[in-house]
Amino acid sequence: MALRTEELILNMGPQHPSTHGVLRMVVTLEGENVVDVQPDIGYLHSSVEKMMEYRTYIQSISLADRGMDYLAALANEMALLRAVETLGKIETPTRAQWLRTMFLEFQRIASHLVWLGTWGIDIGATTVFLWCFREREKVIDLFEKSTGGRLHYVYFRPGGVYEDIPDGWLQQALAFCDDFEQRLVEYDELLTANPIFEVRTKGIGVLPRATATNLGASGPVARASGVAFDVRKAFPYEKYAEVEFDIPVREEGDCFARYMVRMEEMRQSVRIVRQCVEKLPPGEIRAKVPITLRLPKGEVYTRTESPRGDLGVYLVSDGGETPYRVKIRAPAFSNLFALSEMMRGWKVADVIAILGSIDIVLADVDR
Amino acid sequence: MRATLHRIGRGIQALATGLRLTFTMLLRPKNTVMYPIKKVDVSPRWHGLLALPVDPETGNDLCIICFQCERVCPSRCIHIEATGKAKERVLTRFDIEMDKCQYCGLCVEVCPTEAIVFVPHYEASTYNRNNLNYDLADLHRAAPKEPIARGVIR
Repeated sequence: MALRTEELILNMGPQHPSTHGVLRMVVTLEGENVVDVQPDIGYLHSSVEKMMEYRTYIQSISLADRGMDYLAALANEMALLRAVETLGKIETPTRAQWLRTMFLEFQRIASHLVWLGTWGIDIGATTVFLWCFREREKVIDLFEKSTGGRLHYVYFRPGGVYEDIPDGWLQQALAFCDDFEQRLVEYDELLTANPIFEVRTKGIGVLPRATATNLGASGPVARASGVAFDVRKAFPYEKYAEVEFDIPVREEGDCFARYMVRMEEMRQSVRIVRQCVEKLPPGEIRAKVPITLRLPKGEVYTRTESPRGDLGVYLVSDGGETPYRVKIRAPAFSNLFALSEMMRGWKVADVIAILGSIDIVLADVDR
Repeated sequence: MRATLHRIGRGIQALATGLRLTFTMLLRPKNTVMYPIKKVDVSPRWHGLLALPVDPETGNDLCIICFQCERVCPSRCIHIEATGKAKERVLTRFDIEMDKCQYCGLCVEVCPTEAIVFVPHYEASTYNRNNLNYDLADLHRAAPKEPIARGVIR
């Protein structure tokens, strides 16, 4: 017979270190149990969609880099340019498409490594944070050698990529792949079989399959709940139709399943990178596209698979130099609203583990 | 009882694995760079500070005052003014507000004469925001024969 206690409303964030940005969660507690969670967003709203209406398409690339999901800048560039290229019917050279596929997969590895490291810190594993950032630094060094940027690349252009990769870059990329596969084994040893990690994650924050589809969750969050959907397989873009890879799917829908899905995705990304290096043809990297690009009148919706899920761009053009309207369907935004479903009934300490497991980037949520 | 023993066993095993991994890390080379003392070398394509190199033979600006960089800049941080007519045009003002610049490299891309370039320099922080408004003299100075920050390792 438990004593009836008064409910406590706890403000978590916007400056809480483990909210991965400026997210405010209004947590209703009864003792230590979470009764309800209301995420409060909007602290990082940068009005990217409106700003794109005042910029030409090529200027919007640098905006997509930093205004949206800043951990996966190339995925944003790809999402925007896929819409631009579909509407403008711009053909991309084959070499550029292979390069893009390879860079997108490297970006996925880098993004997942940040997630794994920061989530490890949330749960209490400090070592894995340092190790993940060590490996991420190697990916970013590869990006720096080719694109010149470390976080905001501005590398993709309508109709190709800006610069070809430098000499010896492919060998360095392959060397990273060899090294990274061994490092992944170490992460596995450190985390997957660890009983403390298992207790903190297994069975925690279960998101049932039906709820995941109803709330529009996508990416690793949905795949951990048994939704076998990946834009790369369902609507292949660039060269994803020509590479072999598997989509990891888990049925449990808990934090551990989301962890396992992302770990497997990193392995699959390495597999795709290897195939890209093998099949990379010589040739042109950029089609002849004017700097002041004018798209024909019309509208288009395209979707890509960013490391966080289904990233869509709805683009309306009135025939001018700038888009008439851009709407970005952010994966982290949809995933965030599965949060209160996942957290209800768990303890306060699990709130942090669950929040970390969905891998939100607040710049992507607020845009 | 057996379950408890099993859990204790797993705990010890996990601890041993973790310690083994951390000890192997001790034997590997260090990845940390003692930053202000040692500096990291950046790639030649590094999006660092912008600079205006001059023609080594004549000492004139390479810029032909076509205003393409000013027009393409997404943050509109380049300001160019010139006097004279046709071929005798001379740059009187070439300002870059480095605090607005987002290092996208579009100005470098569109420049027909490679008059505006990136230099591999990454230490631009100052105590005063006004120091980040680079004028023509600053931009000339930032374009040395040798890049400014040469790293020690990598």
